[in-house]
Amino acid sequence: GWSFAWLGALCLVLRTPTDTVRAAPICDNGQASCQVLSLADLFDRVIQHSSRMHGMSNDLHSQFEQYFLPSRNHISNRVNRNCHTSGILTPNGKENAQRLAGEELTEVILKLLWAWRDPLWHFHQSMAHHDDFNSFSSNKALVMGDLVHELRTGVEKVAEKMQNLGIISNLVNGLRSPEQLLPSPVRPQWSLMNDYDLLFCLRRDSNKVQSYLKILKCRIVPENDC
Amino acid sequence: MTSSAPSSPHFTACVSRDQATFRCWWSEGSFHNLSQPGALRVFYRYKKNSPWKECPEYIHSNKECFFDSNHTTIWTSCCVQLRSHDNVTYFNTEHCFSVENIVRPDPPVAVNWTLLGVSPYGLHYDVIVTWDPPASADVSMGWMSLAYEVQYRRWNSSEWTVVEVQGGTQQTLYGLNVEEEYEVHIRSRMKAFTKFGGYSDSIFIQLANYPGRESIFPVALVLGILAVVILLMLLLFSQQQRLTLLLLPPVPTPKIKGIDSEMLKKGKFEELNFILSGGGMGSSCTPLFYQDEPLVDCIELDPLDPADTGDKGGQSSEAQRLIGGRQASGRPTVGGLSHTLSFCDEDDDSVVGDPPNQDALWTLLTTPSPSPTSALLLPGQPELKQGFPGGRDPDPSLAHDGAPRPQAWLNTDFYAQVSDVMPSGGVVLSPGQQLRAQESTAAREGQKEKEEEEPEQQFQLVVMAADPVGDGYTTDAMNWQTGVVNGYHTLPAESVGDVIAPSVAVKSAEDYQPSYILPDASPTPARYLPPVSDYTIVQEVDYQHSLILNPPPPQAPAHQCLPLHPLKPLTPMPVGYITPDLLGSITP
Repeated sequence: GWSFAWLGALCLVLRTPTDTVRAAPICDNGQASCQVLSLADLFDRVIQHSSRMHGMSNDLHSQFEQYFLPSRNHISNRVNRNCHTSGILTPNGKENAQRLAGEELTEVILKLLWAWRDPLWHFHQSMAHHDDFNSFSSNKALVMGDLVHELRTGVEKVAEKMQNLGIISNLVNGLRSPEQLLPSPVRPQWSLMNDYDLLFCLRRDSNKVQSYLKILKCRIVPENDC
Repeated sequence: MTSSAPSSPHFTACVSRDQATFRCWWSEGSFHNLSQPGALRVFYRYKKNSPWKECPEYIHSNKECFFDSNHTTIWTSCCVQLRSHDNVTYFNTEHCFSVENIVRPDPPVAVNWTLLGVSPYGLHYDVIVTWDPPASADVSMGWMSLAYEVQYRRWNSSEWTVVEVQGGTQQTLYGLNVEEEYEVHIRSRMKAFTKFGGYSDSIFIQLANYPGRESIFPVALVLGILAVVILLMLLLFSQQQRLTLLLLPPVPTPKIKGIDSEMLKKGKFEELNFILSGGGMGSSCTPLFYQDEPLVDCIELDPLDPADTGDKGGQSSEAQRLIGGRQASGRPTVGGLSHTLSFCDEDDDSVVGDPPNQDALWTLLTTPSPSPTSALLLPGQPELKQGFPGGRDPDPSLAHDGAPRPQAWLNTDFYAQVSDVMPSGGVVLSPGQQLRAQESTAAREGQKEKEEEEPEQQFQLVVMAADPVGDGYTTDAMNWQTGVVNGYHTLPAESVGDVIAPSVAVKSAEDYQPSYILPDASPTPARYLPPVSDYTIVQEVDYQHSLILNPPPPQAPAHQCLPLHPLKPLTPMPVGYITPDLLGSITP
């Protein structure tokens, strides 16, 4: 009877619930100091990061507007603002984003994040040479580049974990091949943009990334409110 | 965007509540003929090259065009246009925007407040205001992240206090006045965006129950404690002296009668010097005593020492001269003693290592009992030896030859003032101290004084010895150390008896017999030595922290106050008793 009870307890423990978000060890190489994070925690982290990125891009944009372009109304309603990421197909609404598959949504996010690596670096360079733009904003541009890089790394980790857990199928494009992600005409386009348009597009794309991540999380990691 | 023309038809606002739909309102301006529903039409397009589409849903009563989620594209620039009924565009400029930039969330709902706490005196209180996000904003999925702004004011005031709330749906308001009513309302906006929605309905906060009684208690407690504390303080101050005595019993300080400790503390060395060397007494070297026990500071040594100045040139004749000279001066009788005589000792290198041949300048009486007939021994005085009653051997430290040698007195306690010197060579020491004489080198080393064994009538003779060698206790008997002044004992005159000369009992270590010097009750000028300085000046402190003494500077040549080391410069140093704090001022 004792062995049966022990077996029964073992079965109870081993029988995993339907929660697919059970924490799986990230560190497979056996590092003792490795901390195991659940998928929900990873999502929370990247979403926090994306919020910060969006907030900072918003600040940069408004500061640029105030400093360089006092006549706001005339400029901000310009229609013909072509961002270099316009070529990336992105869902333009909540329902559209919810209808998108997990793999596609993840791919869109990664595409967006990869598309901003080079432009942000060049933007920081151009800001550094502006004598009148205060150094605080120039530092913010540099921080933006780091933020985007970190966010991209985080989303890649999330995608990898989701693939490992079998939540999503393998992404169509490899995770670390930005050249495959971006359509070729997109790449040189950012060099043609002026700084103000670049900030406008950055603000918009960071908002997209944040919203997509939230939708993705709500779908992958079901919570009581979602 | 409006044209400069007055009141042409235009859009008044385009707003989204949930970032999924939006509405646009227009106005006909001054073209009142277009105010009828359907007179103006709304067209929109998202991309520049796409065709204009008409408003999907009109609300003519409101002059509003509603775009549902199917017709709403976020992150895309949208332009709307007003046209007349006959499709003639009235305005060339379009109103363009991005939907996420025109989001103004609805005000929060279910605003409520709870009391957090009241201040101890019941004048102020804190509340927590809580609310819920608007239903239209999809906060749960995270589609919209809201930030709030809480505004409150006193009911009769016109200025609102603004509190920004970044996250969370509650906010604490501090320091509200108890008797006043407050109005609170909240509005929301999207995080990282700047457009606020409308205000929520105001709520009114007022503390209904004014806690009157409860606030008195802490006040009364504090006042009571204060009163008790004040009473305690008064008690303490009134009984301060008693408490001080109880808690901090006075430490008996060494006291030299005749010398004010304050004088020593203040370091008035010249004055002290002056006093101790007897300067205040006129021509005599007597120090000022206003008490019974004169201080025996040092005993001037050895007139035969070649290191001396010319003052003491010879042998016993010099000593005799000294003695004679001292006798010439009159001194006041103090405590039954007619003279005060100070012996200044000197360190004599030549006598180092020659203990048995040392002469004792010090009187050393070997009588254990205070016998009034004990004679004082002076160095170089053969008759001194005869003066020993009982045929007791004189102090071996006494000189056996004619040359008076300074006797090394080690571990002498303090000063005994030699009040007189008998013509026979005995030294009359004033009562009060015990002398500790070390008669041999073996006994000298490591001998500790036993003050406690001193009988009252015994004195101590403090030997101030100059110690140029500075090696402290050695086998050499001549290395004398300064003694610590222990105290003074008053020798009652009657116990002294009628003696030839004042005698002083010298209590040495256990091996030593106490010497006893009897005071001379009837001093004669011929008998008493001229006043010598009672105190020696501490000339320096050697590396072993032994005091190298010097006699005080001679007050006058007639006074025969011989310096111990005339070659050494006499510095105004305190003579006599050295307190530790004074010692520190003496540089070695």
